[in-house]
Amino acid sequence: MKRFFCLLLSFLIIHWVGSSQLVRADDELSDKQLQLVRSVENQRIQAINKVIDSVIAIYGEERQGGGSGVIIDPSGIGLTNHHVITGAGVKGWGGLADGKLYEWDLIGTDPGGDVAIIQMKGKDKFPFTPLADSDLVQVGDWALAMGNPFILTEDQVPTVTLGIVSGVKRYQPGAGMNQLVYGNCIQTDSSINPGNSGGPLFNLQGKVIGINGRGSFKERGRVNVGLGYAISSNQVKNFIPELLATKLVEHGTLDANFEDRKGKVVCSQVYEDSRIYKAGLRPGDHLLEFEGEKILTANQFTNLICTLPEDWPVELLVKNKAGKEMTYSTRLYGLPYAKPQQPEIKKEEKDQTPEEKEQIARMRDMIDLLSAEPGTVRHRDINSAYADRLIDKWRLDSVEAPKDITEWEITDRIIENGEPIGQQIVRLRSDGSFELIRKTDDSVTYSWDGKQLVEQTGDVKKELSLVETKLCIEAVQAIGILAANRFCDLKFFGELSLDGSDKALRQTSYRMKIEDAEEDAFYVWMSMEDRPAQQEKIELLKAGASKNCDQQPGGIVFENWGDENGLKISRSRSVVVGIGEKVQRIYEMQSVRRVEQPAAESSPE
Amino acid sequence: MILTLAIFCECLSADEANFVVNAVDSVQPRMVKVYGAAAGRVEGYATGIIVSDSGRILTTQGVFLDGSQIRVVTPDGESHIASVLRRDREHQLALLQISAQTPDFFDIKPDDVGQKGDWVVAVCNAFKVADKQEPLSVTLGVISLKTSIEAKLNRRDVAYRGDLVLIDQITSNPGAAGGAVVTTEGKLVGVIGKIINSSETNTRLNYAVPNSVLAAFLSNEKPASLAAKSAVKEAVNLGIKLFSHGGRNSPAYIDRVKRGSPAHKAKLRSDDLLISLAGEKIGNVKDYELAIENLVPGQDAIIVVKRGTELLRLSIVPAAKE
Repeated sequence: MKRFFCLLLSFLIIHWVGSSQLVRADDELSDKQLQLVRSVENQRIQAINKVIDSVIAIYGEERQGGGSGVIIDPSGIGLTNHHVITGAGVKGWGGLADGKLYEWDLIGTDPGGDVAIIQMKGKDKFPFTPLADSDLVQVGDWALAMGNPFILTEDQVPTVTLGIVSGVKRYQPGAGMNQLVYGNCIQTDSSINPGNSGGPLFNLQGKVIGINGRGSFKERGRVNVGLGYAISSNQVKNFIPELLATKLVEHGTLDANFEDRKGKVVCSQVYEDSRIYKAGLRPGDHLLEFEGEKILTANQFTNLICTLPEDWPVELLVKNKAGKEMTYSTRLYGLPYAKPQQPEIKKEEKDQTPEEKEQIARMRDMIDLLSAEPGTVRHRDINSAYADRLIDKWRLDSVEAPKDITEWEITDRIIENGEPIGQQIVRLRSDGSFELIRKTDDSVTYSWDGKQLVEQTGDVKKELSLVETKLCIEAVQAIGILAANRFCDLKFFGELSLDGSDKALRQTSYRMKIEDAEEDAFYVWMSMEDRPAQQEKIELLKAGASKNCDQQPGGIVFENWGDENGLKISRSRSVVVGIGEKVQRIYEMQSVRRVEQPAAESSPE
Repeated sequence: MILTLAIFCECLSADEANFVVNAVDSVQPRMVKVYGAAAGRVEGYATGIIVSDSGRILTTQGVFLDGSQIRVVTPDGESHIASVLRRDREHQLALLQISAQTPDFFDIKPDDVGQKGDWVVAVCNAFKVADKQEPLSVTLGVISLKTSIEAKLNRRDVAYRGDLVLIDQITSNPGAAGGAVVTTEGKLVGVIGKIINSSETNTRLNYAVPNSVLAAFLSNEKPASLAAKSAVKEAVNLGIKLFSHGGRNSPAYIDRVKRGSPAHKAKLRSDDLLISLAGEKIGNVKDYELAIENLVPGQDAIIVVKRGTELLRLSIVPAAKE
């Protein structure tokens, strides 16, 4: 602790000198000025104190290797570089500023973007720093880099270096086959040295804006030359669900090339059997926007696509040869990595020392990891544990189901093509049942007792199967609201797993898969934790029976969640189709009434 | 004073109204990327600043300008062919011309901007990280010292002579030379100088060539053809022959002085040890050979010699070499 204090003190002194010179070396400071300078320095020290406990000094199992990392979730989820774990191994030790070493396990890794997720163990609640929105980072912002350069620390307290953001949206080419590409990254003049790799770049508001991973070192060996690069926090977010799903993640590609031609970005090549060709893209098409961002150069496009994982849904706005503006949506293909080579072990097993055996085992673990089938779940149990955690987080703010059965009556207006076409009335009960009446030209009633959905048209009653239930857009809405309130458990519908990263409602999201015994899948999309004003809460964004919601009847998106008379409810729900989420029908909440006397049949008496 | 402090405070406040952001916004539209020929380990690119509305670019002098084509990329991402108007080897500066209107430019005045301890922002394209219309890299530091360097112990190390502004951010990187160093108000302090690297310690000097030097270079409006000629200096003759048995690294002792020569007129004698010539320290024969290159026939220079235990300061008028 003493050393930690010294570190801060020296930090203060260095910058004290800097700022006192600001008011000219030969000027005396007035008391007021002195106070001002001190308050500024205190602000900075506070900013450092706020985040320093979340910084990890990463070591391998035998304390070999070394790098840095940062904890982004109280459960101990940590980020580091892929190139740090390839040195350290699939498990090891992580030192925190409290001076203790904690064990960590590798969860998932992204060789293409140089990001890996580790799970710190041995503590219920870890200090953590949330990720910032790196699109808001601008050149000139202060940037604090922390980590363990040159493996200096002996008491695990990180080294702090201060600088500014020197550039944004930088591109640094990769190494090997599609590996370690830094696209749309943040450039900083904070000192980044060997050992800083994997460590966080913070803003002074106490959030992580990037993961430091490389510098321009080429000329003078590994000497800091004032150009360091950090993977943007927004790119990291795109990969977190994939990594928590325990995958070896690939980066995405369109299988189409673009080049600059007379101030335009033009498609120069597109493979005829690629999805984007089937979606409509043709050579000569002029790319106007990618993922909602105006595209001015082919480099800019490359920069953006670098930050997206395989299977990510993208949207392109192009002007075709006929001069017509078209929007094409597709999921990205993966860019493959070279398979690692099996190591040659010369010694016979019986001749190996125990240390050598361990070393070989570690090497094998790493080879196993790097030769895993990209995009597949490597550890089912770890994956479902994260899925459960996300569901817990989702329902963090919903109260326990009340003892007495409570009933709410929700009235929605149904809108199609901007025109109201009818009403939907849902009676939700805290025992997990509901009745739903759709009053349109083809009126229908559904009732759900928590296990069985019954559809009634006119006088005809029909019991629907579980598959049919998942395809019933009315039932999915009601069940979504019930589940958000802890009135029902999604696990009733099958085994829950984290499927990967996806986009829903134009946001980065966790896509979860619920698979029943017949392997009939159902998907729910959950928001990330870090949205402004969300404070670690996550929300249900979308639900659907297919990943792309392209099969009838499409998927349901849930918007504008809030509390209405004690019920957590999405005030606007829509039926959407395709990965472009084309809206077909809107359910707009008009009122929520708490029914004082629940209907007799569902009362416990 | 209060004002500077206030700005300093603002930059750290929660809303991060950062002074660097403001400085950079005004500087970026006046910066260019310069591409020439790479030769061996010498990088073929640099940074430049726009110094007139008619397409004049100030950048660093270097062999990269000797290629068949020089390209200047303006902040809008447009690429222009440039021609060299003038070069100055002493201050390692070059003036380029592109045929384009450049409404945003630095109006270079010989003003002494910035003091020791002031924040400075450097804007340059080190490692050509930025391409086309992408903005240049920005680093923050303070002015460490305003000084001048004269010593030329080893020409390969120090390619610059004159006043300079030492700064504490790292700017000694390939491609950074010619970049702008500005105050937090966006006022130009100078341009980033060519890399000065000590071959002994492998350390580098981070510095800016100040406005006074830039203004002097720019005001010297000579046509390109004349400038090219002036670069080939007229050889001078002092009438000195040095002992050179130990090769060019041996101390510069005078062996013989030619009768009637400038050295004879300056009363130099055999066995005098040369200490300095025209402000250049003479440590050995090689230094002397380099130092006489800078002399101009008819223009007197100071020569310092050691005779016995005495230091003598003499004036010498070089003659043109026949």
